[in-house]
Amino acid sequence: MYACLYRPSAPDADAAVAVDAIAREFSPRYERHDDDVVAIDVAGLDRLLGPPSTIADELRREAADRGVRVHVAIAGTCAAALILAHARPGVTIIKRGEEADALAPIAIGILERVGHLQHSVLVRNGRRPSVLDTSEPVGTALTTFKAWGLKTLGELAALPPADLTSRLGRHALVWQALARGDDIRPLIPTLDEERFESSMDLDWPIGELEPLSFVLTRLLEPLSTRLERRDRGAAVLHILLRLVTRGSGAELYARRLELPSPMRDVRTLRTLALLDLESHPPPAGIDRVSIVIDPTPGRVLQHTLFTRAHPTPEQLSTLLARLAAVMGQDRIGVPATVDTYRPGAFAMTAFKTDQGPGAGDSGLGAGLQSQLPASSPHSLLMSALRRCRPPVPARVAIADGRPIRVTTDRHGFAGGVVVHCAGPWRTSGDWWAGSAGEVGGTTPERSVRGSSECECASEVSGGGAPRALRNDARASARDSLEPLRGAHAPSNSGGGGVPAAINKSRAPREVKNGVPRAFNRDEWDISLSDGAVYRIFQDRDTDAWFIDAIVD
Amino acid sequence: MALARADLESLLRARQLDRTLTTTLPPVEYDAAACGITALDVHLGGGFPRGQVSELVGPRSSGRTSLLHRMLAAATAHGELVALVDALDMFDVESASAAGIHLDRLLWIRGHVVSNPGMCRDMNQRALEQALRAFTLVLQAGNFGLVAFDVAEAPSHAIRRLPFTTWLRLQRMVEGSQTICLLVGSEPMARSSAGLTVKVGQRSEGKGQRFGVRLFDGLDVDASIVSARWRRFVLDAHDGSNDQRRSVLDTCEGGAPRELNNVRVSVSTICA
Repeated sequence: MYACLYRPSAPDADAAVAVDAIAREFSPRYERHDDDVVAIDVAGLDRLLGPPSTIADELRREAADRGVRVHVAIAGTCAAALILAHARPGVTIIKRGEEADALAPIAIGILERVGHLQHSVLVRNGRRPSVLDTSEPVGTALTTFKAWGLKTLGELAALPPADLTSRLGRHALVWQALARGDDIRPLIPTLDEERFESSMDLDWPIGELEPLSFVLTRLLEPLSTRLERRDRGAAVLHILLRLVTRGSGAELYARRLELPSPMRDVRTLRTLALLDLESHPPPAGIDRVSIVIDPTPGRVLQHTLFTRAHPTPEQLSTLLARLAAVMGQDRIGVPATVDTYRPGAFAMTAFKTDQGPGAGDSGLGAGLQSQLPASSPHSLLMSALRRCRPPVPARVAIADGRPIRVTTDRHGFAGGVVVHCAGPWRTSGDWWAGSAGEVGGTTPERSVRGSSECECASEVSGGGAPRALRNDARASARDSLEPLRGAHAPSNSGGGGVPAAINKSRAPREVKNGVPRAFNRDEWDISLSDGAVYRIFQDRDTDAWFIDAIVD
Repeated sequence: MALARADLESLLRARQLDRTLTTTLPPVEYDAAACGITALDVHLGGGFPRGQVSELVGPRSSGRTSLLHRMLAAATAHGELVALVDALDMFDVESASAAGIHLDRLLWIRGHVVSNPGMCRDMNQRALEQALRAFTLVLQAGNFGLVAFDVAEAPSHAIRRLPFTTWLRLQRMVEGSQTICLLVGSEPMARSSAGLTVKVGQRSEGKGQRFGVRLFDGLDVDASIVSARWRRFVLDAHDGSNDQRRSVLDTCEGGAPRELNNVRVSVSTICA
């Protein structure tokens, strides 16, 4: 048997606490649906208090003592009690098995409120709504029901389930079950938020991380067990270290690790904590270690038989932390294209550790690859570039407007005679982000492939609409007035100096004081006598030549 | 002499270094992952082997990066996670996107190599070793579909200075897993640890490049299998059992006995 308390007046915080407190007085198994609604499992209370009518009276009297006026409904199912408490004032008691008859005359509009409550409980408890939950917006279904002329729950309950499913899908069965007063899920008891904290005072201060790992394990193991019992995972890990300092007051050293996904594996948590402390070591010995965990609902994983397993979030989190320790935090991540025409621009985002089951695509899908034949004996590949970061300064000899010889002082780029060349293509942009004088003129926004003669490199002016661009990926991007936030560019990765014999300036930095710098260049694809194909460009502001990329 | 050899082999087996022996090969069947080029996949018996160290080698502008991108695209299209240890930080995101790589499934690890180290000549060697350590960490994490170590533009002497045991360790690490461990370089580096070595190069000197009047159109490259130790493992293990895989390969070759090595596959690249 289930009882439901509903406080019809306007919600306020004190009353919500009172409704919770009433439920807690009667049973530990209660489910708080909202601030003003609570469902209580009253099974077994008949031996303590008496028949359901007595239980209902006791509930109402307890509420009155606390100054709260409530509707009380007792029924064989939680859903029926919930609907009746909303629909009928006072005390309502329905015998087991008579729920559908009791609900039949109630207006169908009440399903909207009840469905919302059922869904909010699932979301609050971190349960992933399934097809039989009320995750589907009831508004759509209610509109349909009303269009069919249904006015009461009884009329909805009387419809043939098969016909209902064929017209509205499986979600319609959920609404029909609620209309009959059937429970669509078990009661999820509400529990007090538990504080996950553990501390240890040390007899002798710890000065190194290795002994600290044993302490961390000792603290994390019971916390992990408690998290598991409560179906929780750690969202944030706080490490609080009390340091031994010469001053009178104890200094507290705190680190906060935001975990990318809920986890409770002791080894993973310890490794992440140690890796963080390796990067940010405490400045003095430690005589007290405290761990505080901010809990979050645990993960529900559904594996699939048809795709390969991914690394678990714990594995990935540990891997990323280790890689960050080895390579640096800014050197690992997911590459992303940037909405710009700037050659070689890219951005990096954090690698998601909570990768869902592999969503395989039917083909190679994205990008221009979809234009290629999927498979053929004589396959086609998309030409790839290898970017030089920063671009390599070069000497280029020109004859008849074409590069005829390219040499560099860079080891590994011997240069040679140009055998074939294609170009030039003029590319410019971001002149609007800085001062106009800095870029030396008013270059049209998007210049495109020009003629084969260098000096005739045509600029498309007026309107600036892109013509046949060299790279469709570049064409798919659109210049934006936004600065490149978090974007990298070919020449921003530092690097060595440029031999003075080639030119005095190094490749222009693409971002200056947070503002993307204008670029204005003529690009060529050239093939040298050693068989290698390069993309070179001439910076039109400085007339310096650079090797930008290798076609490979 | 035979006794000494037997002793040596047993010693290697005891230390789990028997992979260096060419006489006794373990009868293990390796899963393969298609690289997306049908002709090459057919010759390889399904694609690049999982749980093996494979190499993709070739000179500059030989199409090795295009082939690498195709492999990454094929793996990510099947929902797998892939990782690229880009030791020299030369990965081009635009090209990768155009090749169809699902970038959100690619873990990109950028190396710290300095383009002009000046007097600090050991700096880049240390950076290479650092990248190798990152590569090892990714392999140890497991469950990546493809993990590539791209040192295609690294000078040969820098690769040779890496200890030979590096590759043995990698092979031991990846063995039995479902990961393709791919080394991309200018020349073979893993030597006897490599299960498969595919060499790519322009079709003929100077004629493998297609330049139009105003545009560079692409490259014509040949991919050849210079070493396929893992395929020999499979065939030796199933010799005489009329294995289905063997019959498929024979059918591809018109029933004629075929040497796995020195198979050439023609591939063309096009510019977007």
